[in-house]
Amino acid sequence: MSVHDDQHDDDTPGTPQDDWFLRAAARVGDLTSPFYAEERQRDVWNEASAVGLQLMLWLGLATSTAMVWIGGRESLPYAISLFALVGAVSGVSLAYARRLGVAVEAPARTLTARLLPYLLLLAAFLAGVVRAAPDDGFPGGFAHGAAGGAALAVVALVVGGARARRRDAAA
Amino acid sequence: MGRTSAAGRANRVRAARAASGLTQAELASAVDVTRQTVVAVEAGNYAPSVYLALAVAARLGRSVEELFGDDDPAAPTGRPHDTEVRS
Repeated sequence: MSVHDDQHDDDTPGTPQDDWFLRAAARVGDLTSPFYAEERQRDVWNEASAVGLQLMLWLGLATSTAMVWIGGRESLPYAISLFALVGAVSGVSLAYARRLGVAVEAPARTLTARLLPYLLLLAAFLAGVVRAAPDDGFPGGFAHGAAGGAALAVVALVVGGARARRRDAAA
Repeated sequence: MGRTSAAGRANRVRAARAASGLTQAELASAVDVTRQTVVAVEAGNYAPSVYLALAVAARLGRSVEELFGDDDPAAPTGRPHDTEVRS
């Protein structure tokens, strides 16, 4: 690749100046704080935030799973709301990284053995949703549809990850 | 220990700083970081950015290779070379 090829690279990450999402994220995260000017503070806080995000993912899913299995149908709206909240927060994190050219969710990188317990917990949550949801009506249809969609997404992630790993191994 | 750790990679910052007669706090102030960061760099618990490494090297009158390079693990004993030193 020549130097000039870089000018046509579609993966050029955005900058906070030209991207509304990054500007909004910088405002939410207070990223212009003098705290971030000290590089070790910034790096350590980034690691601490990663720990916190991972912990939130685990505890959020574990709590949602416990709610649907213990609380049953009455807890379903709260469990799904918590699950959606955790998903939205992690989605914003992934979107921020992607805007800056880091694809954290690239299947070959994401699909590690470390993820297996999380997928099992996710399967338990989805099974709990299906079990607790009413069989008919909009709430039941919504819950079954959401669980089915999530299950398909997980299958797609696993299959995509396996293919990406094979591609990487062959390259 | 996180990815910012430089564990397993020795550096010669502490010896160079001592040879320059600077305290950790003075070096930290000169390169605009906290003293804890200087402590972590010297202990190999933090891999500085290229900009911080350049600033530290400039302040101590050494090259980045002298301070952080893999070769010659012995502490620097000579006089700092003629690098412009910022106060």
